[in-house]
Amino acid sequence: MTRREFLWNSGGGLGGIALASLLGQEGLLGAVPATVSGTHHRPKARRVIQLFMGGAASHVDLFDYKPDLIRYDGKPSDFGEPVEAFQDGLGPWMKPVWPFRPHGECGKMLGDVVSDLGRVVDDMAFVHNLVGKTGVHSQATYLQSTGFQLPGFPGMGAWVSYGLGSINENLPAFVVLPDHRGFASNGPKNWDAAFLPGQHAGTILYPGSATPIADLFPGKKGGYITAAGEADAQRVMAELNRRHAATREGDARLDSRIRSYELAARMQLAAPEAMDLSREPDWLLDRYGVRRNPPTWPTDINAEEEAHHFGTKCLVARRLIERGVRFVQIWSGNDNSFPRRNWDSHEDIRRDHGALAAGFARGAAALIEDLRQRGLLEDTLVLWTTEFGRMPSSQGGKGRDHNPYCFTNWLCGGGIRGGVTCGESDQWGYKPRDRNNPTTVYDIHATMLHLLGIDHTRLTFRHNGVDRRLTDVHGEVIQGLVG
Amino acid sequence: MARTAFLRRMGAGIITLFWLVIPPLQAAEAPKAAGRTPAGNPTDWWSLRPLRRPSIPEVRGPVQPANPVDCFLTAALEAKGLHASPESDRRTLIRRLSFDLVGLPPSPTEIEAFVSDSDPMAYERLVDRLLASPRYGERWARHWLDVVHYGETHGYDKDKPRPNAWPYRDYVIRSLNAGKPFSRFVQEQVAGDVLFPGTRDGIEAPGFIAAGPWDLIGHEEVPESKIDGKVARHLDRDDMVVNTLQTFTSLTVQCAQCHNHKFDPITQEDYYSLQAVFAAVDRTDKRYDTDPDVARRRAELSDRDAALTQRRRDIDGVIHGRAGAPLKELDQRIAEATRNAKGSEAFGYHSQIESRPDRVKWVQVDLGKTDEITGIVLHAARDDFAGIGEGFGFPVRYRIEASDDAAFESSVVMLSDHTGADVSNPRLRPVEAAVSGVKARYVRVTATRLAPRSNDYIFALAELEVLGSDRRNLAQAAPVRALDSIEAPVRWQRANLVDGWAPGGTRGVASDLAMLQREREALIARATLVEEQKVLESIGREAAEVKSALNALPPMSVSYVATVHRGGGAFTGTGAKGGKPRPIFVLNRGNVQKPGREVGPGTLSCVPALPSRFELGEGHGEGERRAALARWLTRPDNPLAWRSMVNRVWQYHFGRGLVETPNDFGRMGALPSHPELLEWLACEFRDSDQSLKTLHRLLVTSAAYRQRSDVPQPAAVEVDADNRLLWRQSRRKLDAESIRDAVILVAGKLNLTEGGPSFRDFVIERPEHSPHYEYHLHDPEDPASHRRSIYRFIVRSQQQPFMTVLDCADPSMQVGRRNEGASPLQALALLNNPLMLTMSRHFSDRVERQGGSVEEQVTWAHQWALGRPPAPAERALLAAHARAHGMAQCCRALFNLNEFAYVD
Repeated sequence: MTRREFLWNSGGGLGGIALASLLGQEGLLGAVPATVSGTHHRPKARRVIQLFMGGAASHVDLFDYKPDLIRYDGKPSDFGEPVEAFQDGLGPWMKPVWPFRPHGECGKMLGDVVSDLGRVVDDMAFVHNLVGKTGVHSQATYLQSTGFQLPGFPGMGAWVSYGLGSINENLPAFVVLPDHRGFASNGPKNWDAAFLPGQHAGTILYPGSATPIADLFPGKKGGYITAAGEADAQRVMAELNRRHAATREGDARLDSRIRSYELAARMQLAAPEAMDLSREPDWLLDRYGVRRNPPTWPTDINAEEEAHHFGTKCLVARRLIERGVRFVQIWSGNDNSFPRRNWDSHEDIRRDHGALAAGFARGAAALIEDLRQRGLLEDTLVLWTTEFGRMPSSQGGKGRDHNPYCFTNWLCGGGIRGGVTCGESDQWGYKPRDRNNPTTVYDIHATMLHLLGIDHTRLTFRHNGVDRRLTDVHGEVIQGLVG
Repeated sequence: MARTAFLRRMGAGIITLFWLVIPPLQAAEAPKAAGRTPAGNPTDWWSLRPLRRPSIPEVRGPVQPANPVDCFLTAALEAKGLHASPESDRRTLIRRLSFDLVGLPPSPTEIEAFVSDSDPMAYERLVDRLLASPRYGERWARHWLDVVHYGETHGYDKDKPRPNAWPYRDYVIRSLNAGKPFSRFVQEQVAGDVLFPGTRDGIEAPGFIAAGPWDLIGHEEVPESKIDGKVARHLDRDDMVVNTLQTFTSLTVQCAQCHNHKFDPITQEDYYSLQAVFAAVDRTDKRYDTDPDVARRRAELSDRDAALTQRRRDIDGVIHGRAGAPLKELDQRIAEATRNAKGSEAFGYHSQIESRPDRVKWVQVDLGKTDEITGIVLHAARDDFAGIGEGFGFPVRYRIEASDDAAFESSVVMLSDHTGADVSNPRLRPVEAAVSGVKARYVRVTATRLAPRSNDYIFALAELEVLGSDRRNLAQAAPVRALDSIEAPVRWQRANLVDGWAPGGTRGVASDLAMLQREREALIARATLVEEQKVLESIGREAAEVKSALNALPPMSVSYVATVHRGGGAFTGTGAKGGKPRPIFVLNRGNVQKPGREVGPGTLSCVPALPSRFELGEGHGEGERRAALARWLTRPDNPLAWRSMVNRVWQYHFGRGLVETPNDFGRMGALPSHPELLEWLACEFRDSDQSLKTLHRLLVTSAAYRQRSDVPQPAAVEVDADNRLLWRQSRRKLDAESIRDAVILVAGKLNLTEGGPSFRDFVIERPEHSPHYEYHLHDPEDPASHRRSIYRFIVRSQQQPFMTVLDCADPSMQVGRRNEGASPLQALALLNNPLMLTMSRHFSDRVERQGGSVEEQVTWAHQWALGRPPAPAERALLAAHARAHGMAQCCRALFNLNEFAYVD
């Protein structure tokens, strides 16, 4: 399918004139300036891809190897202190559901279910001593996504967009690829602009759907709109707007609104192109686990289907990053529902984590390799996040209760030192090994901003009397992570 | 160009353009606000000083303006050698005033009538007409709801709807339309239920306290005794405190949660004293009568009912005394039997949930040793989930087996087999299977076809009894294993399968109870005298009459407000303790695990000469705390609320407040541009009838409001590019609601139904768990959704995408002033959103119904959309476009013009 056909199949409309006026005149990758001005210090990263596992992924089954859990598997758990668990579910110690094996030069132990990441583990840095504030999904998800545990604060991508602006104005600076089954806890509030200007909000993109961006093209209700009519409407509107502005000198808002319509037309070209995987080679799709012609999937959760969906998002993320999108946030797992399709495995780690983890690991490993091959990894930060961890004990059966006291993040690329671990958990993965020096989300956020050339204490926005920051009044750059 | 200079050039509002924002990194270090650190007396700050009415300044010009507002403004302009712009023409004035006061454009007829009106008071009459319109309250309520962050879902996880939040929205509209005195408006919202009991407004207004988000999981799944429960309730009170103080005083009390406020004289103790004011209430539904007559009648009937009950109780007391010890003993036995028969929250065992019914599930008990089994009794569970109730989860097909092998791989004996055909649900009838000659240690129930739930399938049982040789239940308290289980105590857990309780009663219990009750009736009958019997019968008749009169009353209304909550489960509220406020402690660094000293109710101590702690005496009701705060807020000698409110109203009329930070009058906020004018307005507002309408009239009849926005004044730009001194009117961009309402009105579809439940422009999917608010599934042709935007159902998590992209207020935060952006996504929404496409077509149908030439039609459309006829060149352009591509295309273009989106 040609690009022209693709655009018209995507809904027709403004693509028509944009095709007539723009195609061929302008590279669709947009102009990517060589340097970013206005940062606090020389940046190592220019872009971020965040992978957010909604529902709380188990660190002890995937990344944080705890031999004592194998040794004491099935023995009554003893945390050495009273523990408040969300569902009061504290059964015996439970060994990792998958065997762990060393990978890469660094010899990092990974659970077999995420062994695909072994190929890139020497580029990855792990933090195993993160601590949260509550075991309630909503507040914990807010804390990770916005730095505050209540609604009303901008998502981290919105802060980055606000701080650094766009590289390619034909695309939004902050793009969100939600789980295709639904939003995780808090929904779009996790990537909201809140008090920041509205255009910094994450723009939702659904690759492969009929309307990948809301209102990008006229839909069914616009049956009366033709390509020629659309082009003529743009011309008429521009002329009338110019006449209007001519008698209202000195109001730049009027000119900027005229320009926003021109940019909209360009986005109608740029966005479908960025999501068009038809020209990606088969071997690469396979690498990501993406099926060109997806089969009818079984009704039970399965790794192939997860890999296809997550891999598609990863591949689209690479294309977006390549075209100058500043921040891409990919979500795995929806809000609570039945059957379970998120990481909140109270009942059965193997059942939910098995497919979700294998699926995400395949896409993420392919993404990191792909970025590296294209020279993008060195200035693209990949950050893996979840809202909290899971208990080293079972919940009585095959699942694990929430563990807000300790969990794992990992980072990769964008100036991150590969193959290291900064911050260990205790022998069980219950709390940080050094309880007095845990890592907080503020430290992760501060480190991310630092790599982007931003001093997190100086990126502020005054709202209702407070100079708000992504890191509130906390946060220290984790020097051990910075290469 | 520096960001600040860039912004200044833009003129009004908080403007940002496109994605290509000037990075704010350097600008962040040089904020535009006052930002002074406290020196000397910390309470010596403009917003905290007592109100003092300044004298009206004399202007130097030849004519002293009639409106005092203009005297202050003119004097300030003259001091800089500047002058105001001339008055706008009437066409501009009526469009400006209509959008401003009622949020809708004027019709061409209204415009022409006003333009040709020769009455010198025509403008004043127009102001009065618009203020008298019910549309006025609908427009200005939206401003208020922005500030108080009103929403109709809880927000947070799951984001469940609040179907009874709208009465508060209607209360605000009603109050504004009535021109209610501001002090009453404030008092009702903070403590209307206490200060104005029995009034509809008094009951519904505390919806204000409940307006913000609420963490359902943190309240309903986590009790207050746990850390997460404490955090949730702390955050909940924080929202109430901040909403109240920021709305009415424009101070940032939230900064004193972890430590004393860094910039303003607000102590941490002040903050927690304010939390103590709200320590008894929760956000919850409240039932009441809106009609005071009905309320009175209900109260009378309830009193009569109570009196009759008391009389009956007195007579019963005498009879019971006569019946003596045998009755006491019988009552004890009945109480015990009743406890066994019902009342437990321990529902039973519940399997994991499946998407298909043919999943095999099992649960089994371990009798501890091989024993003789003479029967099995299954008791179905009861759960009202999905309206199922009795028989919840009872398998459609199942088998019961016994074995000495815990894995049931060998020596398995079939005890009862229902795998061949569906069984009918036994409801609460015990299902017994007789067994003989079987000895085994383990008994397993295997469901081979699961019970349907809502859209999924489960297996649940209340109780499994295994009868031994003496018919004793061998399974009581035995270890239970299952293929899988939902462990959600108290209701569901494996152990509940053998706890000796089932909703229909385990064996024998139910019949015991019935027998005991018959025995008791007979005993009472023997002890009752004939006269007593007669009196009791007459009481019974009267009580029945009272009951039927109560039932005949109109149903009670329900409103989501802040009140003492009487609930069960984890979210109990304070109702169980008679509404006694929770103890409030100063929390070290805001940490619920580090409580310091306990504090009583109080308020800010930074307003000189006003007491800041409420001395209410022992045993005061919780409402007295809120009443005390309401009185403090509205004292004539408390300057905060008066200054705050006149500044808000000024901002909505002029695009920017006299203080640019409407929610912060502290040292981090901006300074007033016209301090004397602000003081004069605050005094004038306080000392007048306190109706907002009076204040509106004063402001919009000023020459400053009526002046033109488009007269170039290079000298003024040089001195005051920001237009802080108001040498011209500011051009205003229509907000999301005005755009939407104007589009629907111009399309001829606006439905002006007032009040009541909100319309929903989304479809809810999966309401049973986490509702998905699917806006794209809503049909914009649905006439129910053609009401004004104030009546839109406001979701917190998934905000309406069209309105959100147009910068409508986020109901999760207090919005004192909206952002104003112009982005390609806005352009795309206005071009392609289904609502815009649908309304463009309706507009076009309406235009074509006028008949006449295309030029005439285009002229008519232009007048409706933009309030003026097109110039010949414009008309030619539009007519040619309409001819070539259809009128609907042309109407869509009109809706997308800058002139449509801006008001001069």
